Amino acid sequence: MLADKDRIFTNVYGFQPWNLKAAQKRGDWDNTKALMALGQDQIIEEIKNSGLRGRGGAGFPTGMKWSFMPKESKDGRPNFLVINADESEPGSCKDREIIRHDPHKLIEGALIAGFAMRARAAYIYIRGEFIREAETLFAAVQEAYDAGLLGKNAAGSGYDFDVFVHRGAGAYICGEETALLESLEGKKGQPRLKPPFPAGAGLYGCPTTVNNVESIAVTPTILRRGAAWFKGFGRENNHGTKLFQISGHVNKPCVVEEAMSIPFRELIEKHAGGIRGGWDNLLAVIPGGSSVPLVPAKEIMDAPMDFDGLRALGSGLGTAAVIVMDKSTDIVRAISRISYFYKHESCGQCTPCREGTGWMWRVMERLRTGDADIGEIDTLLDVTKQIEGHTICALGDAAAWPIQGLVRHFRPEIERRIIEKQGGALEAAE
Amino acid sequence: MPKVKVDGIEVEVPVGATVMQACEAAGKEIPRFCYHERLTIAGNCRMCLVEVKPGPPKPQASCALPASDGQEITTMSPAVKKAREGVMEFLLINHPLDCPICDQGGECDLQDQAVAYGRGHSRFAENKRAVTEKYMGPVVKTIMTRCIQCTRCVRFAEEVAGVEEIGAIYRGENMQITSYLEGAVTSELSGNVVDLCPVGALVSKPYSFEARPWELSKVPGIDVSDGVGTNIRIDSRLREVMRVVPRISEEVNEEWAHDKTRHMVDGLTRNRLDRPWVRKGGKLQAATWEEAFDAIAKVAKKAGDSVAAVAGDLVDVETMYAAKKLLASLGSNLIEGRQTGLAYDATNIAAVNFNTTIAGIETADAILLVGTNPRWEASLVNTRIRKAVKKGAKVFAIGPEVDLTYPVEWLGNDMSLLAKLPKAAADAMTKAERPAMIVGGSALKVPGGQAASLALVDSLNLIRGDWNGYNVLHTVAARTAGLMLGYALAGGMAALAEKAPKLLFLLGADEADLSPFDKSFKVYVGHHGDKGAHGADVILPGAAYTEKHGIYVNLEGRVQYSERAIFPPGDAREDWSIFRALSAVLGKPLPFDSFGELRTALFAEYPAFAEAGLVRFDWAPPALKAEAIAQGTEVAYPIKDFYLTNPIARSSPTLRRCSAEILHGEDFAEAAE
Amino acid sequence: MLKKIFTWWEGATIGTALHSWRNGSKVGSDSLGNIYYEGKKDGRRWVIYAGENDASAVPPEWHSWLHKQIDGLPDDVLPPVRAFEKPGTRNLTGTDAAYRPSGALEKGGQRQAATGDYEAWTPN
Repeated sequence: MLADKDRIFTNVYGFQPWNLKAAQKRGDWDNTKALMALGQDQIIEEIKNSGLRGRGGAGFPTGMKWSFMPKESKDGRPNFLVINADESEPGSCKDREIIRHDPHKLIEGALIAGFAMRARAAYIYIRGEFIREAETLFAAVQEAYDAGLLGKNAAGSGYDFDVFVHRGAGAYICGEETALLESLEGKKGQPRLKPPFPAGAGLYGCPTTVNNVESIAVTPTILRRGAAWFKGFGRENNHGTKLFQISGHVNKPCVVEEAMSIPFRELIEKHAGGIRGGWDNLLAVIPGGSSVPLVPAKEIMDAPMDFDGLRALGSGLGTAAVIVMDKSTDIVRAISRISYFYKHESCGQCTPCREGTGWMWRVMERLRTGDADIGEIDTLLDVTKQIEGHTICALGDAAAWPIQGLVRHFRPEIERRIIEKQGGALEAAE
Repeated sequence: MPKVKVDGIEVEVPVGATVMQACEAAGKEIPRFCYHERLTIAGNCRMCLVEVKPGPPKPQASCALPASDGQEITTMSPAVKKAREGVMEFLLINHPLDCPICDQGGECDLQDQAVAYGRGHSRFAENKRAVTEKYMGPVVKTIMTRCIQCTRCVRFAEEVAGVEEIGAIYRGENMQITSYLEGAVTSELSGNVVDLCPVGALVSKPYSFEARPWELSKVPGIDVSDGVGTNIRIDSRLREVMRVVPRISEEVNEEWAHDKTRHMVDGLTRNRLDRPWVRKGGKLQAATWEEAFDAIAKVAKKAGDSVAAVAGDLVDVETMYAAKKLLASLGSNLIEGRQTGLAYDATNIAAVNFNTTIAGIETADAILLVGTNPRWEASLVNTRIRKAVKKGAKVFAIGPEVDLTYPVEWLGNDMSLLAKLPKAAADAMTKAERPAMIVGGSALKVPGGQAASLALVDSLNLIRGDWNGYNVLHTVAARTAGLMLGYALAGGMAALAEKAPKLLFLLGADEADLSPFDKSFKVYVGHHGDKGAHGADVILPGAAYTEKHGIYVNLEGRVQYSERAIFPPGDAREDWSIFRALSAVLGKPLPFDSFGELRTALFAEYPAFAEAGLVRFDWAPPALKAEAIAQGTEVAYPIKDFYLTNPIARSSPTLRRCSAEILHGEDFAEAAE
Repeated sequence: MLKKIFTWWEGATIGTALHSWRNGSKVGSDSLGNIYYEGKKDGRRWVIYAGENDASAVPPEWHSWLHKQIDGLPDDVLPPVRAFEKPGTRNLTGTDAAYRPSGALEKGGQRQAATGDYEAWTPN
């Protein structure tokens, strides 16, 4: 259980105003100059020591990611920091809270992180559907410029730094880092091949780091309070605090900042008012946004909510968007709707995702009503394995995993529907 | 030079090579759809996946991964096999069952790779998606339901052709390739997307539903529609040429051919001269060979040595040689090839040759175009210039402004600039490491133009060591060979008119103005009934370029051999044999009785033609008197209509429609199929 | 009259006409004028042609009656004639209207377009 004094996001519910004065009262922009005076390499070291792992879903150690950026430009290409505020993962809503209620944490973090990685500027790519949030962000950035915190001699540190806000236009795929860079450059948001990695050739061909909003926003606080403090939360390799977004069949769905590795039961009991209908009523949980496989009730109950703990259960922490489903859920329909999401959001560039997501959704729809043969479940599983790992970006994997999770844990339910549809007798599988 | 292991075989590949190229060097075939050697890497079909150690546990796209030292690549493991079968399955689930009605059947990459790498049976039980057909012009037929979204056509149109007219719209499984505005693709290279498309989504409209590839006899030939000498493969079935597709030639046309080359062939069955004609009482009447020859012999007896020959644009070396020998036996050397009236000094062939070579121009870093529109006059030289521009070359041009598909600094339509080039252009050319100048026919037409352009060779230092940056761009397939054989009089056609020959042979010459030759007895030896035939007194039917073996020399001096695909129609004969037969009637038989003997005699007299390949002409430009060019002297490019520049093209309904629709903006209602 | 006595290929012979009058009951006729009989005692079915004795002159509906494929008369048993059905034709072999492929001399000697056809040039 995280004490209030240990919370980083002190205005995540918006009880106080987001503007610069209020943010400064909460501690943002407090002597940023001194933080930057620590030195670029020192900042990266601190972040490495803090054990911060990327909060956008992949969980890559942030300090290590920053250290991939060239320390000096050999050919005149500047470095760039790109902040991924294209929060489109079904279930995720934490970045929205940060942007509309505590934007100055993000902006200060952009300056410090950008300074640490020798970036010339930061681009915040915010999803097109966030209209009011973008208005807030634009205004907050303007406030920072007006107060001399950005631009030439940002915050009096002697370092010139710009922050640009760019609005997207409604595509989940633009949350993928290389597709985001393509969209920023004005082209179609289709992911690039990796290698080359953005740290080598990213935005406009320059070395770029793409980080999640939360990862950047916690940076100033980590530097102020020290890496050791941040490391104090969570298990080994899974340190720090995290914004959990609890939705679904809980009594009080909410966004809450908690320590990593908190057991699921504690998280739900303390902050979400428990499962609707009691703990016996829990069916399954998708612990990290629709891209990770679901975990059935029995397994998730006492599992630690962190990257490794959930990986051990065959799932993942992702963005910590906890979708709770109770026994009233039509689980096959839920996963089918998720498959539809991926079919809709596929960019169409590579063959397995373009064709496969549509195929998987259509088969899921038939499995939902039982209009299938028993053997088609294994065919579907095979198709998901054909997509996983063979695509340009991770959307293919993200499309395949939910179905794999469903079949792994709820095969009897699918079979039941087929048998029911076929009139009770189990037809000999072909 | 990184060393990698492919399935245990060690290979060394050049720096910058991809894993796919390493696999091919080791002899392992990698299936692919979106990868093409001459286009940028897309990596989106996912068919080329192989396992690479060290690397992530999932297979990698070999077309995109650079080969680095110490990699171990597996192309035949179960995981790779499963990946290939999976991707092939995905490609086939929405692909329509069109094989029986699809033109690409028999030469389809999807068919071949499905057989070689596919699973063999389908597990797809849903409905397939369909896509509407798009209109892309009279040359490219689109059935977009078959499209597998490999984006080769998109990349070609943008990178090679320079027209960004094809793109993909929508997202996910709704992704479609379209030209959106659904107008004709305006590039002269639009036919190449038909070759590039691995499936039958883009097919050749004139060739649709005509033939299957296994029915066709394929013969290597040389295209005569312009001076580039595009290497082509002539596909014929029985007695008809069905289509022409380009062959790969790194030095000449890479893998491309423009639309005129491809679609000229349906002009080969129209307007054909298939029997001799003799003008009796002012009207042309069908005749036999004897009658025609007798009519000529009557005139030849009285003409003595007042005989001349004008070579057309499409003739081969053997024809010109035979005609030249015939005239020599009559005591005449009045032979001229430049039928539109150009009269530049052709005493040194290097001075009127494309010396930098077609492949060489792509390495130039500064190019000056003088009175030439390479996009229309030699489209495949234009693609090379475009490649040079993409590598950073600067292009300056003197002449009327046109869209060349790359940025050009236009210096103005004023030939006097040759004598005083603007400082920026002159500096760029002198400071460049490999400067090149390309002079077109319209510049050579201006009095003093040739002298002024040759003067720039020294002032811009265009010749450095091995590099010769002085180029003349010929628009006609027969030019260089004609010049090598001596088909050039001092003073050109005007001088010939002054000589007032009593007997004039026209070797397929249809672009010449024949009004000065009213009094001459004109014998037209050609294959199409165009302007030349209408004005002739005797017409002798010859063979077109697909109907005879021939040697052609392209604008860079490359000797190339073309082979016969079909025989000429009706009573037509090969041109050299017409001259041999005529020589017998005239009483002075030529010394060769067969094609082989003709070639032997030809090679003995002109050894340059004996071997295919680039001829190196000695650089010895004529010392021309400098003539001042008045300021403001404008030129107009010689080609007014790209699609109708030779008699075969003018007889082709496809090219006539291209001209009407693309150049003159006429609308055409699409016939429902 | 002579035809009736000496030929057997034009309509009924005398014997057939007699048999039809004595043992046959007329059941109907078709559009071409052939008359159909059924035996009174043995249920045989036969036709007397109008004109030449050409078996192909029997239209399809009566053909099924003649060959005992249907029990009742065509008008009663068979479904009504549809608008798109053409009337039956006799065998035209040996007549002027016989089928000839394109290019036959009987059809003017014009063959279909083939590979290798070209348009020759004429001066007009």
